[in-house]
Amino acid sequence: MSALRLPLSAALVAALALPALAHHGWRWTTGDNIELTGVIREADLGNPHGVLTVEAEDETWTVEVGQPWRNERAGLTEAMLAPGVEATFIGEPSADLEDRLMKAERIRIGERMHELYPERS
Amino acid sequence: MWETLAALPPAEAMRTGRWLYAWVSAAHVAGLALLVGAILPLDLRLIGLRRDLPLAPLAALLVPTAATGLAVALVSGALLFLAGPADYAGRWLFWGKMGLVALGAGSALALHLGPGLALASPARRRLAGALSLAAWAPALLAGRMLAFTD
Repeated sequence: MSALRLPLSAALVAALALPALAHHGWRWTTGDNIELTGVIREADLGNPHGVLTVEAEDETWTVEVGQPWRNERAGLTEAMLAPGVEATFIGEPSADLEDRLMKAERIRIGERMHELYPERS
Repeated sequence: MWETLAALPPAEAMRTGRWLYAWVSAAHVAGLALLVGAILPLDLRLIGLRRDLPLAPLAALLVPTAATGLAVALVSGALLFLAGPADYAGRWLFWGKMGLVALGAGSALALHLGPGLALASPARRRLAGALSLAAWAPALLAGRMLAFTD
């Protein structure tokens, strides 16, 4: 039954890699906030969650933002989460900082602070 | 090609809707529960467990249940795929899962279009049960892992 072996071992590898890659919830993050200021280079918005690529000095970060309803509730339009926009992202990074991955709790664009997770602040 | 799919109205609705994605996910889970919940006991019976239970009434109940679950999973799965066609299409785990789904559905179809469950030889039934188990269990696992891997 070698047809079974490959998918099973692949799933096992995926399961072991799970804590670092899980997007949902906050368990994979450090529990402490960081602040990242940079320019959005790529934006992939939509369900189940939006993902931005942000260039901050000489590092490139992946920043998870909300689903459309959460971004909208925070007063963020698609034009504000678009390539070229400079913003400061406050949120929790992945427990492994080498991932250069964070989940935003709030986003400052210009003078205005946008709260994605008002209950967490 | 993936961009064309992503531009379709249902794809747009899946990406931007407040509840649609959540409901379609729920339907997908319900479809999988029906499919796997029905096919697993049938497969185990086919490979030789619980031979005291008559196959005909067991199959009469479990085959339509599994087929309904598969239909629900296919429709909801297609909608979930539309939320990010290029993302899914670029991942080997997704295509591996699709291959397993094709194997499971294809093996069931071959049996039903061929001799049929009732007239199949014991060896043919064991083969169908084993193929089905080898397809659906890892397909379920691979599908769940898609949400947690890049």
